[in-house]
Amino acid sequence: MKLNKNMSHLSKVLLCSLISSSILLSGCKVTIKGDDDTEELIESTVDSIANGGSSDGSGSNGTSCDEILTTSDYRFPCDAIFVAPDAVDGDDITNELLLALFEIADDSVVVLPEGNFKVSETITIAAASGLTITGYGIHSTKLDFTGSTGDDGIRFEGGNDITARDFGVYETNKNGIKAVGANGVHFTYTATVWEGDLAESQGAYGLYPVQSQNILIEHNYAYGSADAGIYVGQSNNIVVRDNVAKYNVAGIEIENSNMADVYNNTALNNAAGILAFDLPGLEQAYGGNVRIFNNEIYANNTENVGHGAVSIAPPGTGVLIFAVSGVEIYNNNITDNDTSAIELASFFMSDPDVANYPVNYGATIADGWSPMIKNIYMHDNLIARNGDNPAGTLLEEVIAGYTSPYNSTGMPQVFPAIIYDGIGELLSNAGALTDFNYVVGADAAADGVNYNPYAAGDLLCANGNINGNPGPSYDDVNTGLVYGTNPLDAFNWDATGNPAASLLIDKMVNNTFLNCVQNRLPEATVTFKGKEYGCSGDDLSEPACAL
Amino acid sequence: MKYIKIKNIALKGSMMVLAITLLSACKIVFKDGDVAVKPGNGSGTSPASCSAQTDGVNWGALLTENCTNLSDYNLFADSTDPTDNPNSGGIPYDLTTALFTDYASKYRFAFIPEGQKAVYNEHEAFDFPIGSVLVKTFAMPEYTSDRDGSELVIETRLLILREGGWVARPYYWETSTDATLAITGKSIENMTTNHKGEELTFTYGIPKATSCTSCHAVVPLLQGPDDTREAIFKPIGPKARFLNKDYDYGGLVMNQLSYWALQGKLESLPADLESVSHTPEFNDSTDLSQLNGEELNDNAKAYLDINCAHCHRSELTLPEPLYAGPAGGSGLQVEYNRSYDENPGKFGTCKVPVAGGHSDYSADVVPLNADDSYLLFRMSTNDERHRMPELGRSTVHGEGAALIRKWINNLPSASCSPAP
Repeated sequence: MKLNKNMSHLSKVLLCSLISSSILLSGCKVTIKGDDDTEELIESTVDSIANGGSSDGSGSNGTSCDEILTTSDYRFPCDAIFVAPDAVDGDDITNELLLALFEIADDSVVVLPEGNFKVSETITIAAASGLTITGYGIHSTKLDFTGSTGDDGIRFEGGNDITARDFGVYETNKNGIKAVGANGVHFTYTATVWEGDLAESQGAYGLYPVQSQNILIEHNYAYGSADAGIYVGQSNNIVVRDNVAKYNVAGIEIENSNMADVYNNTALNNAAGILAFDLPGLEQAYGGNVRIFNNEIYANNTENVGHGAVSIAPPGTGVLIFAVSGVEIYNNNITDNDTSAIELASFFMSDPDVANYPVNYGATIADGWSPMIKNIYMHDNLIARNGDNPAGTLLEEVIAGYTSPYNSTGMPQVFPAIIYDGIGELLSNAGALTDFNYVVGADAAADGVNYNPYAAGDLLCANGNINGNPGPSYDDVNTGLVYGTNPLDAFNWDATGNPAASLLIDKMVNNTFLNCVQNRLPEATVTFKGKEYGCSGDDLSEPACAL
Repeated sequence: MKYIKIKNIALKGSMMVLAITLLSACKIVFKDGDVAVKPGNGSGTSPASCSAQTDGVNWGALLTENCTNLSDYNLFADSTDPTDNPNSGGIPYDLTTALFTDYASKYRFAFIPEGQKAVYNEHEAFDFPIGSVLVKTFAMPEYTSDRDGSELVIETRLLILREGGWVARPYYWETSTDATLAITGKSIENMTTNHKGEELTFTYGIPKATSCTSCHAVVPLLQGPDDTREAIFKPIGPKARFLNKDYDYGGLVMNQLSYWALQGKLESLPADLESVSHTPEFNDSTDLSQLNGEELNDNAKAYLDINCAHCHRSELTLPEPLYAGPAGGSGLQVEYNRSYDENPGKFGTCKVPVAGGHSDYSADVVPLNADDSYLLFRMSTNDERHRMPELGRSTVHGEGAALIRKWINNLPSASCSPAP
């Protein structure tokens, strides 16, 4: 195709008004008579203006912009910017989308067309303020990144109060929708999907806010990620609710993040359903105050094909709490997970070289990261039919012990529904980690990070959880401790003075282990565009918030 | 220098530019070339400034307009040759170690408005005065061994410092007579170059304008729910340590920093150049076997700095407190002025990848075992899932990968290293 001279002149002239004319004026009248494809392209873009935002191409007569709703009932504003409204299924809308988003005005609403479209590059949006990118609905607008030259699908860099809603992102090379360094992130009614069998080569994170503040993730569908379907990392003030995470390695993961409420979600067919992690070496060294409640967490029995940090998650896991402190897990239905309902592990399970922690992790320990797991409160969860086929390298020896006579009972057991490694607590209680205190920086120490013997507020507590197993297998819902936590009990040490794994087990309802109560954690609140979300915001009357 | 004519490359980019422009201008009537533009209220731009005839650089247009044609800014005496003869005292420059871009040759110029100066910074890009423009032209040599020989001029990228901060504008040389603004970038298939006897054929990607932030922005390390600081756009190359080398100014060979100061374009340069940081001059002809251990570390850190640290950085010497590169959050932070010994984990040593990862690589960097190091793999693959840098290359930089391989294999043993 060749651009004629006049056209070239036009673009030159018009471009000059680009910067200051970012205000979209309504009632524009645009007429273009050109030739060939150029005309078509321009007209398709122009239609949206001439029609006052209508995408049906029928002209402005009798069409009010108010009438367009997404399938989630989001109403497009009259000044919405319609991207490639006349595109047909299979069209590549990359350029149209890039142009619409280029240095976009604050508070713009950009509407993706209805249908299935190809996008061939990462869509990067820097420092947007108040921007909404919307499709016509989670099933109605589908962006297919197959063959894209970029890694992520859509990536927000910086920005305030940004929204992605009502569309699906498929088959990105790496992450689906990412936001880094943003304050105010709202992902809703989006789908991030990798179809086909779960394989290492599939995408990493579906929804991926990181180093961000005020994150509201609701009504999304995350499927087929080789890492976490919904991942929030190094962020604060987070609400993740009403999402479905299916057939990912990790369903929903909260990592190195503070003040997170994860509720009313469904996590199924993942390798692990819902996870809270603190990983070493990150900018935000540690998180806490994570509440996981009223979720449906079932049949998370997919093979763990992931690599990197997520690879430690044992397949068959309902909830995995790993090297993080300050988590409340309550009123969830955790069922049919083949390894365990709730696994509680210190980082020592992953790296047992305790003596070298100050050397290998000194800098991040100084920043407050800790291998320990403290202050976990599990209550009122319905736990049923877990542990049928335990697996996972993290627990390999533990599983071998419980499923053979080599545990505290001398009899093979169904793998515990709640399993706690106990090693960090034993070592702390024995005073074996007090030297770590010298590594902890002043800020972290002031924030309560220490390696002292566990105080009452540090304990892991489980009570009031409901055994949902039917009659014959009722006794199979147990709580297990890999290491006893009492340093004065000789049973917990071997002949050389090293910790000895006891593989303790008893019925969950007996509360032999983890029998204590912790303070309830405060709710997380997200402030987005000046409005508050979460249990102390828009969900004040939500039943889950009263649990 | 000889130019190869580029032909038959569709002008889709320009048309897209046209389309978005229509979104923002009101009442446009266009009939068979008959153009009328009536700007809406408050538009107030003067499109004419793009076509203004100026003696030197068209500063007025640079400051406010996104002109369609590169020639509109009148940056070069010969508007068809962006590799030489800058107008208005534009200074050509070179870097000690450069970002790898598919073996392209790069022609860099700094244009600083008359009578104004950039301010020296010990560690960071200089503080340029408003109106400054950094111009980088990418050309693919027919033979990488003969960069003065024939080449295909592909694109010219402008970084312009306007009132609101730096903006990036890519121009694509669709013909040999002028380059046009390519907001949406461009994929050029079947780009070829002969590198060390091997004919490389690949798709060259001109990054879209919005991608520029991926490398050029630093993002706030948000300090709480009320922290609404925004990302900041920054140049990468013009730092003292990269400029601190000699350059041949048409017969006058002089240290670049001294030359800038001499030209009245740089202030606060320390009198003692010895005290100014510099990175080693690593290039494709560097003989790794001639580097001693310290030089090897130095070269590797310089290479990681210019190729990775624009994203993989955090705080340290950034002048704005509590900012980081967009990938600083990964925990991998490889600035040249960061001490490896103080925290090897920041350079990836024994660090498990946070997002993704790969089954064959246990950590980003496994000292003494480059083959197990994910960082090296990511430099050595074109798979979009793993490739690093994620933008700006379609080929693997063999020489850079060899440098990093040797560096990893000579690092001090760490906890994840193979047992002796």
